[in-house]
This record gives sequence, C-alpha cells and structure tokens, in this order.
Amino acid sequence: MTFAEVLRANQSMVFSLAFHFLRDAGAAEEVAQDVFLRLYQKLDELDGPKHATFWLRKATSRRAIDYVRKRGSRPAIALEDIAEPPTAEQPGDPLLNRRLRQLVATLPEKPRMVMVLRYQEDLMPEEISDVLDMPVRTVKSHLQRSLAMLREKIDRSMGDIR
Amino acid sequence: MIAIRTVFILCITLASLRAQELKLPPSLDRLAVKATEVVDVTLDANLLQLASRFLSDKNPDDAQVKKVIAGLKGIFVRSFEFEKAGEYSESDVASLRTQLHTPAWSRIVGVRSMKSSESSEVFVKTEGGKIGGLAILVTEPKQLTIVSIEGAIDPDQLNELGGHFGIPKIESDSKRKDNGNRKDQ
Amino acid sequence: MEDFEQQLRNALGRKQQPPTFEAKVFAAVAAQRSSRSVFWRWATEVAAVVVIASGFWMGYQHEIQQRAGEAAKARLEIALKITVTELSKIQKTVRTSTEEE
Repeated sequence: MTFAEVLRANQSMVFSLAFHFLRDAGAAEEVAQDVFLRLYQKLDELDGPKHATFWLRKATSRRAIDYVRKRGSRPAIALEDIAEPPTAEQPGDPLLNRRLRQLVATLPEKPRMVMVLRYQEDLMPEEISDVLDMPVRTVKSHLQRSLAMLREKIDRSMGDIR
Repeated sequence: MIAIRTVFILCITLASLRAQELKLPPSLDRLAVKATEVVDVTLDANLLQLASRFLSDKNPDDAQVKKVIAGLKGIFVRSFEFEKAGEYSESDVASLRTQLHTPAWSRIVGVRSMKSSESSEVFVKTEGGKIGGLAILVTEPKQLTIVSIEGAIDPDQLNELGGHFGIPKIESDSKRKDNGNRKDQ
Repeated sequence: MEDFEQQLRNALGRKQQPPTFEAKVFAAVAAQRSSRSVFWRWATEVAAVVVIASGFWMGYQHEIQQRAGEAAKARLEIALKITVTELSKIQKTVRTSTEEE
C-alpha cells in the first residue's frame, strides 16, 4: 500500500468530509492536506487500505472539529456565499440539496460531524461511534435530534414539498 | 518610548506589507459554477520551487521559464469563459480593484473599448524601486481573466516567453523602431 | 415523496477535491522531507540502503516526486501561457491605437 495509492483512493472522501463540515473550500483543502501529511508520517503503522480509510476518517473528523474551535463557531463567510466545489451530477432537487447542506452547517460540531459521517459515508451508528470515540447511545441521540430539527427547518423554509 | 515607537512602526510596516499581497475575491468561486470553461491555477512558493526542479537547463524553453520564475513567490490565474454576456458583474472584481488602487500598486496600461465593452489593465507593484508583483485584469462580455504574480518579475523576460509554449512571438519595440528607420531611408 | 434520509444522502454526497490538491499534497510531503534534521536524513538513508536492493524504496520516492513535479510544471506552463498571451494582446492593442493617432 503506497502513499500515492491511499491518497488517490481517499482524497475525495477526506476533502468532502472537511468541506461538508466546514462549508469553506479553502479551509477544507487546508485540513485535508494536513491530514494527508500526517498520514504520510504514520503510513508504516497502518494495516492495509481499510485501516487507512478508518484512520483518515478519524483524523479528518478530529482536525475539522479542532479547526472550527480555533476559528470560532461562526463560519468565515456567509453560508449563502459558499462556493460549491464541482461534483459529479447529484441526484435530487439542487435547491433542496443546497438548503439541506446549509442547515447541516448550522448544527453544533459533534452532531454535525455525526450527520456528515452518516449521510456522506453511510456509516452505521456503531461505526460512527468508533470514528468519533463517542458512545453509540450518544451518536443515536445526535442523529435523532438533528433529523428532527432539520425536518422542521426544511418544512418551514421550503414549504411542504414532500 | 523609542522602543515602543520602533515596534509601532514595524507593526505598521509589516501590516502594510501583508496588506499588499493581492487577495482574490471569494466571489470568483461562484463564477466557476456559471462558466463554461474555467482555468484555475494557484502556484505558491513550494509548488514553484518543485516545478523549477523539473525544468531542464538544457531545454531552451525550460531554461527561459526558470529565469522568469526564479524570484517569484506565487502565480495565481483565474480565467472564466461564459456562454453569454452578463454572467458576472463589476462587483465580482470590485474588491480586487480596490486593492489595486492602493499606493503599492500602479496601473501601467489601461485599454478600453467602448464598442466591444472590453477592458484590459496591467498593474505593477513596486517595492524599494523594484517590481515586486504584476497583476492583469481583463474583462470582456463573455470572459474574465485575472492574473496575479507575486515576487520579483521582469516583464521583458515574460515577453521573451513569446515564441515558446505555442505563444506567438511579439516584436519588441526596439525591433519595430529599427524597421521603421530602415523604411525611411 | 423521497425519503428525508435519502434527501440528506443526495445533499451530502461526496464533493470533488480541487484539481491541484494531489500535486499540493505531494509538494508538501517533499518540502517536509527536505526540511528534516540531519539525524532524520541519516536515519532515512540507512533505511533506504537496507531496502534499496529490492528497488522499491527508490521507485516509490521517485514516483511521488515525479508526479508532483510534472503536475506543478504543467500548471506553471498554463499560467505563463495565459499571462503572456494576455500581455501580448494588450501590447498589440496599445500599438494599434498608437499607430492610428
């Protein structure tokens, strides 16, 4: 397993995790770069591609949360002004997608990271618990409350579109 | 008292030096979504150094480029092509213009066509009597190009890159004057 | 109506990293290696001597450097091409309008 292979296989995941959490492409790039630099130093300690991916999710989550704490809780620029990095064609209503992303960004740090890991990476609560070193009960509670809050806010801001 | 004054002056100098680095407006990222073609190049000092190591002194093109980038701290290019006019506005480049109108920067060329609504401007930054940066701003109805070069740049050396990389060679002013003189004889 | 959780999956789908991201990471790795202390360089070189027989170590380091450098060089060429082309166009316009006066 070479560093180049791990980088290529995971760079989108790492950048994307950071971006959805931070809602700032420049900051996401900075965090992602930092994570891969640390990975380079730790590569020999990793046990194969799956371990590398797990390590990267953990490191990215931690680094992104630290970044927000150092910067302060307010995003650097208004959420409406966030430039979206290019994506392959995304399914669903683009307006709804954008609004959901904005709302996720308003969640407190830990629940926000839980939501991004759940819905970007499709991780189960037990896997999120391992990544974030958080009790499974707490992960589930964050998911439940965040979903309820987001559902209510999206209903209010977009009307009943369901 | 003198020590405090010295620190104060130093802080102002450092602050003004930092302020002179050109900051590209964040609104440019929004334009990328609307553009049909985007060129987005950011080369900081590390990347320039790395690129330089891959330029061969034996290749004339590479050697020329190496000379040009020797004193540079960064090159930033943002170029957008749009399908139709009106996809960007003056407000997208307003903050950039504000920075280019600070004392550190001087506009050396400004060309405007009212007929085609095109405008091209070249700015240089001077530090201690030497050129410490170059900025180009080209606005056309369906295209916007911003180039920012930080560091010691020699415009003549840049000109000499014409004829390389598929760029047409432009006659220098001195050559044209010589040709003119010969015609008059 | 689409399930709300599926809507969240749609919204939080993976985003693409910037095209220069990979080159920047390789460049940062290369910069980090070259700034290490003499001791670490020595230690790394000893390790390299051990592994060098297989050719793997040299090939691996070379590959990283090579890809990063080529990517950076390609970006540099694009940047300079655009810069010189725009300057050339401006110079031509200035000359044309000067000659017309």
